Amino acid sequence: MAYVALSEAEKTFILHGVEEDFRCDGRSRRDYRPMELETGLVSNASGSARLRLANTDILVGIKTEIDVPDPLTPEFGKLEFFVDCSANATPEFEGRGGSDLAQELVLALENAYESPLAFDYRTLCLIPGQQCWKLYIDILILECGGNLHDAVSLAAKAALHNTKLPQVTASLLDAGVTDLIISDNPYDCTRLTIDTVPLLVTVCKIGDYCLVDPSAEEEACSTVSIVVSVSMRNGEAFLSGSHMTGGGAMHRDTMRNCLNLGLSIGEQLNTLLAKVLKQEEERVGPKRPKTVGFLK
Amino acid sequence: MLRVTQTKNALLDGATIAEDLYTTPKDCEEGFESLELPGKNPKKLSPRSTFLRAGVLTTVRGSAYMEYGNTKVMAIVAPPHEMMRATARRMNMGVINCFVNFAAFATGELESVPEREKHLGSMLSKALEPVVCRTEFLNFQLDIRVLILDDDGCLLSTAINCCGVALVECGISTYDLVTASTACIYRDNVFLNPTAKEEELLRKHRGGHALAGSENSSSTSTGAPQEHGLITTASMDTFDQLAQCQQCGYLSPGTYVKLLDYTLAINKSLRQIIRRVLTARIKEQHELDVREKAESALEDQRLAEIIERLGRQGLDEFIQSTIKEDPFVKR
Repeated sequence: MAYVALSEAEKTFILHGVEEDFRCDGRSRRDYRPMELETGLVSNASGSARLRLANTDILVGIKTEIDVPDPLTPEFGKLEFFVDCSANATPEFEGRGGSDLAQELVLALENAYESPLAFDYRTLCLIPGQQCWKLYIDILILECGGNLHDAVSLAAKAALHNTKLPQVTASLLDAGVTDLIISDNPYDCTRLTIDTVPLLVTVCKIGDYCLVDPSAEEEACSTVSIVVSVSMRNGEAFLSGSHMTGGGAMHRDTMRNCLNLGLSIGEQLNTLLAKVLKQEEERVGPKRPKTVGFLK
Repeated sequence: MLRVTQTKNALLDGATIAEDLYTTPKDCEEGFESLELPGKNPKKLSPRSTFLRAGVLTTVRGSAYMEYGNTKVMAIVAPPHEMMRATARRMNMGVINCFVNFAAFATGELESVPEREKHLGSMLSKALEPVVCRTEFLNFQLDIRVLILDDDGCLLSTAINCCGVALVECGISTYDLVTASTACIYRDNVFLNPTAKEEELLRKHRGGHALAGSENSSSTSTGAPQEHGLITTASMDTFDQLAQCQQCGYLSPGTYVKLLDYTLAINKSLRQIIRRVLTARIKEQHELDVREKAESALEDQRLAEIIERLGRQGLDEFIQSTIKEDPFVKR
């Protein structure tokens, strides 16, 4: 990702910090950096969210469209991801430099959201076999400070929670094709349930220890990391996708440790995100905060 | 109206040639019924019948051809060359680029081919990065091209195996031999080395039955969800290292580890096959070298003889003695 120049001494310093469970900024191996989350800031999108994870800044916008469902899965809607690594994030993303990273993120997200047990596609169905919602999830990377997978999935999940699908009523069945009437009322909408929607957790291996939420410097020190997609269902954590990245290899037992760490962290992240989103929803009327968002 | 009948080709181990395997959910159900269900715990953890040959092309230095059951894959590796893109040169290790191409006749479903090619390419480079000694070709890039001639499932793992052999054939330093295999679970049945039919059921139907099944059961029961998923593992077995472990679907951690162990066991048997193939190739190459040396020694000897005769007889006599009479000219 972002290119950070580190000397051998700096790398050794980071390595020793990780061994003693006290990283450069004082975190333990299981701690995340402070996050700021805001939803509903883009007025033209059906749903939006902005997440700031220390130096990483992600903006997600969701657009909706009516489409024909796949004949093999007539009751399922569709999701399409698009990631744009803008040149603002780091100079390497200039021109076509960011396209590889963007492709990798899209594949990771598509893999995580593929299973209907992770994201209930039936909520996107309008008329089985004929019409369904298609959501275009556009992710914009504004600043790259390490740990992109986690930030992108958190922002996407928050944006999905914020998405308001307009209420649709069907009018007469005209020669087999139904005419749909979409409500104009902005408050007449349905929301998506995001309980089982997965979150990506990057578990990074530095030296002999695994840690989560690596900063850009820590990413430069690690040999291998595993990205795990954790989805909660009935209080249990499930894996909805995983792959290794980083250019190194790991032992089978190390992998099991990383997996367990990723699952427990993913579980906590899911619970916390749900809590925070609920808190944000309740801040209406007199409890509404003064303008905080950078786009307002 | 033109009707196309599905033909059963006796050469292909009972696989049928079909255009679009599943077009309706009912087809998926029928397809599932027609499969031989291996059950929850498969007994035999062995790879499919494999044919593997290193060194099949004369145009590139490293090439390999692999047939894994009905899946046919060819890989070529050229020696590293200088990197084109200036921005990527800041890396402290060599860069690996993988390009995967499907032959036009490789698979029935042509719409998803470009996407699958991209996906396979990126997964393949992720899998091969830990295997190759990238510190040996700093600021250079290594291009690996894979051609898929027939798709009958397990494409990623077959491609990894084939590329591993092609890398050794090309002479590129690797840390260890890499082997890969695939396992999947669908409706409580574990399929090892899934065929295209099984993979497509998993991919196309996407466990759609999982939700339908839970609707049929009573609404209050909150039983375990129908797990479904596919896992591909590439490992380097000398020190039990995993080069890549890719999973898709929806699995509980217990099932994940179970499938992981199955693939690691298959990898161990595949490793024996690869070692045999590479040793046979080295022996064959050695014999070719010996033969070539013998032939060149013979040539050297002949030339030495001619030079010696020339020295002895002098130029004119030598020319006279080497001219043979034309048998068709009458004297």
